[in-house]
Amino acid sequence: MIRSLLAWLDHRTGCNDLIHEALYEKVPGGARWRYVWGSTLVFTFVLQMITGIFLWTAYSPSAQTAWESVYYIQEVMFLGKIVRGMHHFAAQAMIVLLAIHLIQVIIDGAYKAPREINFWLGLVLLKIILGLSLTGYLLPWDQKGYYATQVSTKIMGATPVIGAQLQEVVQGGAQYNHHTLTRFFAMHAGILPGLLIGFLALHLYVFRRHGLTVHQPKKNPDTTFWPDQVLKDGVACLGVLAVVLLFAIFKGAELSPPADAAKAYAAARPEWYFLFLFRFLKFEAVEHLGLAFGAIYVPGALMGILFMMPLTAKLKAGHRFNVAFTWLVTFGIVVLTTMAFYEDANNEDHQAAIAEAERDAHRIKELASLPSMIPVEGAVSLLREDPFTRGPVLFAKYCASCHRYNGHNGRGNVLREKGDNGKPVISTPEATDLANFGSRDWMKAIIVDYRNHFAPLKNAQWYPGADDAEFNLEDSEMAGASEEYAEAFKAPENAGDLNALVEALVAMRSWKGDEGKIDAALAKRGQQILDGEPLADGSEIQSCTDCHDTIGSDFEFTGEGGGYPDLAEYGSAKWLKAFISDPGSDQFYGAKNHMPAYADKMNAKDLDLLVRYMTGDYHETHVEDYPSRITEVFGATPPPVAAEPAAE
Amino acid sequence: MSENENATPEADETPPAVEATAATCCGASTPDESDCSGKPRRNFVVEALAATIGAVVGIVPAVIGGLFFLDPLVRKGDQKDEPIVGGNEPGGVVKDALGFIRLTLGIDALPEDGTPVRYTVRDDIVNVWNKFPNQPIGSVWLRRIQDQVLAFNTVCPHLGCAVDHRPSEGDFYCPCHTSAFDMDGKPLNVIPPRAMDTLEAEVREGRIWLKYQEFRGATSEKVPV
Repeated sequence: MIRSLLAWLDHRTGCNDLIHEALYEKVPGGARWRYVWGSTLVFTFVLQMITGIFLWTAYSPSAQTAWESVYYIQEVMFLGKIVRGMHHFAAQAMIVLLAIHLIQVIIDGAYKAPREINFWLGLVLLKIILGLSLTGYLLPWDQKGYYATQVSTKIMGATPVIGAQLQEVVQGGAQYNHHTLTRFFAMHAGILPGLLIGFLALHLYVFRRHGLTVHQPKKNPDTTFWPDQVLKDGVACLGVLAVVLLFAIFKGAELSPPADAAKAYAAARPEWYFLFLFRFLKFEAVEHLGLAFGAIYVPGALMGILFMMPLTAKLKAGHRFNVAFTWLVTFGIVVLTTMAFYEDANNEDHQAAIAEAERDAHRIKELASLPSMIPVEGAVSLLREDPFTRGPVLFAKYCASCHRYNGHNGRGNVLREKGDNGKPVISTPEATDLANFGSRDWMKAIIVDYRNHFAPLKNAQWYPGADDAEFNLEDSEMAGASEEYAEAFKAPENAGDLNALVEALVAMRSWKGDEGKIDAALAKRGQQILDGEPLADGSEIQSCTDCHDTIGSDFEFTGEGGGYPDLAEYGSAKWLKAFISDPGSDQFYGAKNHMPAYADKMNAKDLDLLVRYMTGDYHETHVEDYPSRITEVFGATPPPVAAEPAAE
Repeated sequence: MSENENATPEADETPPAVEATAATCCGASTPDESDCSGKPRRNFVVEALAATIGAVVGIVPAVIGGLFFLDPLVRKGDQKDEPIVGGNEPGGVVKDALGFIRLTLGIDALPEDGTPVRYTVRDDIVNVWNKFPNQPIGSVWLRRIQDQVLAFNTVCPHLGCAVDHRPSEGDFYCPCHTSAFDMDGKPLNVIPPRAMDTLEAEVREGRIWLKYQEFRGATSEKVPV
């Protein structure tokens, strides 16, 4: 029955001959592992077609939906992580296999007459595959792809004569926009795969015409493609599939934060297989000769030599030259790639940029998975509105020239300046470390260790001021009071009262889910001490309210005061915002103030985000804080608050 | 790879006999499979293995991709548009676990004589990864019957036009195909296939809560869509 059906089909289509042609290709000298590379490339391409088309069903190319749809594929959809991971890693496998295939063809002399045309067809395929990599890299519209692709399109723009026009056409405008994505997507999923299929068909046809380039034709008895070589090819493809799947499952494709043209991405690097070119362009001599030289002429010349190989081979020692050239270029690529990796691994700024990118990438996934989901303006607006993301950036920009945050500048970097011998040294903080602002530790340090708490001020240029009005830690009134308090609270029976006082101060801030529950009874006792009641051992200390008479009432920013900082709702968002806006007003430090007023330096939104960050007013996060750099910056004996880790 | 030099076919000489058998059997000159099947070394195990591995490398990605494509069916249970209890989002709609939406008006806002009030129901609309808070999803006629509320979907059960209220006639009337209903929603002519679609409505502490639903048109039975 089946047999007659097949015969019927064959009679009308001649499919038996076709199948025969395909399967019973002669393999002189027996099946060999070294013949598998071409087949693995075809397989990887098929894998890309399958996964690519399925990804297509869920991908949405526009500046407000590309990242969002990829996020949805990766984090929400069933098996989405695997499908995208396979596509991502198979693309990289393809580059590796391509390199192996090319080297193999050259060292085996498979490019020589009569196979010149097929070699050139192969080079066209190589170009197409590189084009697929480049266009695919942009599609997730994440920071990494966005800024890496910017470099590629800028290189395009460096093309002599037509550069600017070329770049604009490719981008669909002077800047990246919706059409950059639709154009890249059309290239990636339509034009380039179409070309690839066409050239692959030609490549295979011409390959079959001349047959395998046999390495040792008499090593083993001749055989046919089916089944001996198919088995070896199949095992190799299975190996490729297994590696790709393992990477997809255990590593997963990266999705960096959504592209933000307003936020420079310091961690930008091309995909690893273009790193050699990136590193090459960084050589000063190369940079000096211009982008077109390094990025267009040199690679063009190398491709030119590659292209000429079948002709070069006709010369005396031409083949030897070609093989030597291949190994030399391979060696150069390996060296440059290694250099790039090594330098990046030892570049603190780059590592910090990567850490920040990972932090943002983790955070945006938290924000996107909230019940409010992603706003229509795109996920990038979630990060822009998020105190936890924006706070560190604003801290670094506005505060870190004097203050530190756990020793770093808010974004994990230790600040350095040029030392006496010209080498960079760690800059000395000139104001208090603010990582623990408003915490119990902070309150405690102010009460009993005021001088040490504010000790970094001594590093400031203005310190000590000659003027009477200037602030001086030695004869500061509060420093004196703090000494008194320290003495009084030393008594063991008063230890509970110190905690009570701290509790009362912390209770006033009315924020901080992260500070733990306020102990109401303890805070009540603290309030009594604030108001001047004697301590447990009967001793009397100066009441806080004697000077800071608004403690316990609602804070209101009036700009007026009696010469002592207004501590009503001290540490609350309301207080902090008023303080940062104008610390030199009479309500705060008055004439003794040295901190700039930020009312005119920061816009209201940034101030709000910074204050919300410092007061912990943001959606809960599991993102780890930047590691503390306290000991590097403050040495072995850091100020009291800074010494404590930020987390509980 | 140890050997990388000359690839031209002039390596070591192997016994010609072996080559000869292979050539007669599998050479391009004899493309008929039956010639080869007689060959003693044509190993069934190799063929089976090659076919199996070939099938595996093809099927695995196709199956993974296919399951990914079936995502809407696979994730049906944990779709994100479950109602949010208490509606704690800024600008969002307050909705309870049963799908009752809290309307912005209380029962006091409805005339005591039962005159119907047209009201636009709003809900948070989820579109895959986006959420659009507080979007109009449909409108209803609300009537106060003592301390209860009677709610009709304004969509005509006939062919889906919007049903008006005619105070002059004291009825509900659809201008498209002249369906008419009395104030309790019962049909007054034979055009509509069923009564106006009532919606579940409750009064809780003076506020109206409504479960908004739409129903299939042109059927005598009330079937939610």
